Amino acid sequence: MIIESLRIKNFKALQNVVINNLPQLSVFVGRNGSGKTSLFKVFAFLKNCLRNNVRSALNAEGGRMGFREVVTRGHSEEAIEIEIQFRLEIEGKWRLVTYLLSIREENGRPYVEREILRYKRGRYGAPYHYLDFSSGKGQVVTNEEEFDEPEKELTRTFQELDAPDILAIKGLGLFGQQFKAASAFRKLIENWHVSDFHISEARGKKEDEEAYHLSSSGDNLPSVARHLYENERPIFDRIVEKMRQRVPGVERVDVEPTADGGLMMRYTDGAFTEPFIDRNVSDGTIKMFAYLLLLDDPKPFPILCVEEPENQLYPELMYVLAEEFIQYAERGGQVFVSTHSPEFLNALPLDTIFWLEKKDGVTCVNRASDYELIRNLNAEGDPPGALWQQGFFNTQRLEN
Amino acid sequence: MGRVIFLLEEPSMAAALRGILPKIYPNWVENVDWIAIPHGGKSDLENSIRRKVRAWNEPGVRFVILRDNDCGDCIARKARLRDLASDRDASEVLIRIVCQELESWFLGDLAAINAVYNRTGISPDNIPAKFRDPDKLANAAKELAQLTGTNAKVSRAESIAQEMNLSANRSKSFQVFVSGLQRLVRV
Repeated sequence: MIIESLRIKNFKALQNVVINNLPQLSVFVGRNGSGKTSLFKVFAFLKNCLRNNVRSALNAEGGRMGFREVVTRGHSEEAIEIEIQFRLEIEGKWRLVTYLLSIREENGRPYVEREILRYKRGRYGAPYHYLDFSSGKGQVVTNEEEFDEPEKELTRTFQELDAPDILAIKGLGLFGQQFKAASAFRKLIENWHVSDFHISEARGKKEDEEAYHLSSSGDNLPSVARHLYENERPIFDRIVEKMRQRVPGVERVDVEPTADGGLMMRYTDGAFTEPFIDRNVSDGTIKMFAYLLLLDDPKPFPILCVEEPENQLYPELMYVLAEEFIQYAERGGQVFVSTHSPEFLNALPLDTIFWLEKKDGVTCVNRASDYELIRNLNAEGDPPGALWQQGFFNTQRLEN
Repeated sequence: MGRVIFLLEEPSMAAALRGILPKIYPNWVENVDWIAIPHGGKSDLENSIRRKVRAWNEPGVRFVILRDNDCGDCIARKARLRDLASDRDASEVLIRIVCQELESWFLGDLAAINAVYNRTGISPDNIPAKFRDPDKLANAAKELAQLTGTNAKVSRAESIAQEMNLSANRSKSFQVFVSGLQRLVRV
């Protein structure tokens, strides 16, 4: 488990949301407009803030109007707040670290109102602000290695960032030797993977590049396949075997170099002698192959976010797909998935399932296993997807 | 009084109840006073009954189970459902077999159908013989589709139910549903 809890305020549809005790695999359901997409956008947004700066992350999310489009409607005078609590290994010790980011706008310019990284020095006591910045200025502890010795005085240095909309963990995270928590957290964000898979971008001839992981859009699919074929052959063979079992007709999957130095996928149907180039293969075939590349990755991402993986896939495949996600999480990656598929839910343990619901216009997040009636029904034999379809993921029904 | 849980064969029954129940219990709020649990057909309903009656342990809760007869043996069907719900005292469970299909209940109220679909050409004063006892119709759903010109079962059920006059329905199975429910709720 990496992320333990999330608290989000004024970010798009999420006016005030808290999720505690996040499991290794979390699956979110909810009606259209309930805030699932906003929840997943938090991850992409933070990653963007880190890669560039807050202003460009706001523009990427909200267009030209940036902050005003991203902040919850009616709350533009308040700050957008994102608080993440996570377990991190710092100097050989696992720490429960809290990262808090709050963003406001003034005179049309977004700025970081506050950015804090805090954790406890010893087993007891209040958490210590290891990093504390606002508007591009702040302090950071420099003798982090003496954190364990509460009697030792900590020394702080004053730092100024290039601009008030730059994250301190970006500026300081670069000096990994000196600022361990900041750089560890920075790495975590850099390596979390928000899948935004587009079949159209995964199809066709692609550049031949060095690629170990599937990209967010899936546009490096042939290069990842080639990497697995050349360096992780048993995994590649296992993926092709799964394709054979799951997609009728698929006999072989190959990566083919093109005359002009690119790569493209070739799928061979047992019934035909000539293979299909991937342009002529169904969306579902490509999607299943992409998921297998993503989920059988020998080095799981620390955090993987996938929205509605069921699209384009046959309902019968949902069970195996859900199990791929379960296994990915068991191999160490923390996984966040949203779905509209009852079949997908049926394959999952109750405590991985959350639903988003609007109450008086505000999104709240509920965990299925928190409700006795749902637990009892599940224990009697009702699978989670059936309970969802029968309307049990509804706090009005459960709390009266 | 505890809540009334309706275990239903399919979503169109839930849609019908949303029109019918407010006429009997104007103060009832769905999910607070009553709950509709639609299923994906008869076998899904039958598999679900035992789980629901066993898992639900809030005080005073009562169950209504509705299933189409579909020209089967009504007595045997009822006995089977009773058996599935046997973990509860019989006084807490009302079992009603809809004869023969949900649509018979609507055909029992031609005025309601006319109010929604002004195309039936049937005057309530001069009802064709086959609609006088709608519970006897073997193909009520088909007849209703012809009268209304639509196969959209759920929205059809929803709009007709809102127009229904509960005391003037020609369907016997509808009448015993209403009286059974009133008895269950009164206890």
